[in-house]
Amino acid sequence: MIQVEGSLKARLAVWLVVTVSALGVLLLVEAYFSSQRAAERAYDSQLEAAALTIAEAVQWEAGQPVVEIPSAALQILATRHQERVFYAVLDAEGDTISGNLDMAIPPRWRHQVATQPAWFNETYRGTPWRLYGRELDSAGWETQDPVQIWVGHTMSGRDALTEALFEQAVTRFVIMVLVAGILMLLAMRVALAPMRRLRHQLRQRDADDMRPLEARVPEEMREMAETLDSLFTRQRESRDALLRFTADASHQLKTPLAGLQTTSELALKSENPEAWRQALADVHGSAGRTSRLAGQLLSLARLRHAEEQGTATRLDAVSLLRETAFDWAQRDAAQGHDIGLAALPEAPQYICGEAWALQELLGNLIDNALRYTPPGSVITLGAVCHAQTLEWYVEDDGPGVSAEVMARLHRPFERGGRQDTEGSGLGLAIVDSIVRRHEARMQVESAEKGGLRIRLLFPCLTRHEEG
Amino acid sequence: MRLLVIEDDSLIARSLEQALTPLGNTVDVFTHHAQAREALQSGHFDLVLLDLGLPDGNGLTLLAELRQRGDTTPVLILTARDGIDARVEGLDLGADDYLAKPFSLAELEARVRALLRRSQQRADNRLTFGPLAFDATSGVATLNETVLDLPRRELRLLESLLLHAGSITPRETLENRLFGFGDVGSNALEVYISRLRKRLDGSGLRIRTFRGMGYRLEDAAP
Repeated sequence: MIQVEGSLKARLAVWLVVTVSALGVLLLVEAYFSSQRAAERAYDSQLEAAALTIAEAVQWEAGQPVVEIPSAALQILATRHQERVFYAVLDAEGDTISGNLDMAIPPRWRHQVATQPAWFNETYRGTPWRLYGRELDSAGWETQDPVQIWVGHTMSGRDALTEALFEQAVTRFVIMVLVAGILMLLAMRVALAPMRRLRHQLRQRDADDMRPLEARVPEEMREMAETLDSLFTRQRESRDALLRFTADASHQLKTPLAGLQTTSELALKSENPEAWRQALADVHGSAGRTSRLAGQLLSLARLRHAEEQGTATRLDAVSLLRETAFDWAQRDAAQGHDIGLAALPEAPQYICGEAWALQELLGNLIDNALRYTPPGSVITLGAVCHAQTLEWYVEDDGPGVSAEVMARLHRPFERGGRQDTEGSGLGLAIVDSIVRRHEARMQVESAEKGGLRIRLLFPCLTRHEEG
Repeated sequence: MRLLVIEDDSLIARSLEQALTPLGNTVDVFTHHAQAREALQSGHFDLVLLDLGLPDGNGLTLLAELRQRGDTTPVLILTARDGIDARVEGLDLGADDYLAKPFSLAELEARVRALLRRSQQRADNRLTFGPLAFDATSGVATLNETVLDLPRRELRLLESLLLHAGSITPRETLENRLFGFGDVGSNALEVYISRLRKRLDGSGLRIRTFRGMGYRLEDAAP
């Protein structure tokens, strides 16, 4: 039975979505931080420029630094955003010379700036802002007192720039995902195309077309295509075998039917009651043989059909043999022979099998023995226990067969080189297929008294399996 | 005896009628399910020969109806289906015997005789086979209406053989009946059989040995 479990496309899509999402999160985090860094760099250099402009405006009058803040410096800092701008010029003691910064610069920062310019993040009155401080060297002047210039602003300009940069990154990413998705769908279509082609080809095949496949498939599908091919081959072989068998069977049925037709036709033309009698006897005999042949053909067909079902159960091989022997010994056909049972094992011996098939098997062997031995022959059935197997045997004291004929006895329509009897040659073919169904072995050998002895070895059920 | 044959193939129906009438039977033949059902409800028959594949219904339904009514008329099923399953189903539903087509008329006659005898025995509690009879209540055996004076074990042997007359009585069954479950010599049974054979000499009956299986009381003629 075919169960549909999702689609390949959905499976590929899920994998892709998971991978893209994971990568996407990483990429977006990275994009956010790099946007932030870019915005920081841009605004920091503005702070630096403003500080330099202020530094250029610092003058010394009577050893005291004097500064007039140039408007250019503040313009540098003024952005589109409602940004607050702070500046301070400090003397060596940290006192404000000029500025609008009402926060005291901590001495720690001042020391740090004394060696090299530095940036600081600070939260003042609940607002985060960024400060830049640098020291102005008064080289060439009389006094050596350095002056520190501090410039700062709030962060909204930076945040806006970060946001703008990040938005651009996100847009690029979304576009990329969309393009990749479309390309992936196209790629899947292309990749699955061989499968569609194969499906189409299989659909177009005639029901009885068992030729090998002719399809171009990628490496990944080779195994499937080969499996299909070998399935076709097996079907072809089994169909050919069936056709051969049917042809053989119809031929076999046609022969006795033709005999019936000609015999009855001749009798109808004749006026002689003696001839009628003879013809009737012939018709009677031939009808019996034809019936038996039809029965055997049915058995073979049924065996083939039942092969797919398998209804084997645990059964007692000894009592089955006994029942079958009782049944056959009392049949009309057996009255000319001495059918008997050898001493049987006392305890039941269990094997796994189908009762009807096993009865059919024994019936065919007994029937063969009755047909291929002269009247009065002794036919003996028996069962023997071995270590791993249970043996059934059917032996007779008839003429037996030669060694080379023995080898091909189990083939359909083979009559052991005998054309003088009424058999169809189907019996042992039926036996052979039942034997194979039961994983048993059949050995054909010469009996001690010169006739044929057929031994059937069935695997015994172990104690464990019996439980 | 009155026999009912339900068979839709006219050739087979005619042969059945021709084969069974000379045995002293009245044979009614019906080709359809519906007619046969009516006949079964209105009249009494001693044996029904039932073909399973009828044009207007399955013979097994008819059999099931018959048994549900509590009618114990013996039924012999005739069928072209020889599968074990169909056979078991028929016997489960209360058929008394089963014969697969094609069959020989000799075999049919033997089965019909056996079934009629069995139903007769059920009626009068006497076991009979040809000239031989055994009254189970009085324990007296007669051959051609003459009382056979038999010792106890031979009488038991005769009773067992008569019970299965026409088919094989298994050797184990006979040994158990004669000697109980104790160990007996391998030819002890044979001794009693040969004694009984002498008694039946010239009666038209014989006891046939089936090697390794048992014995059968049968007509000496064939």
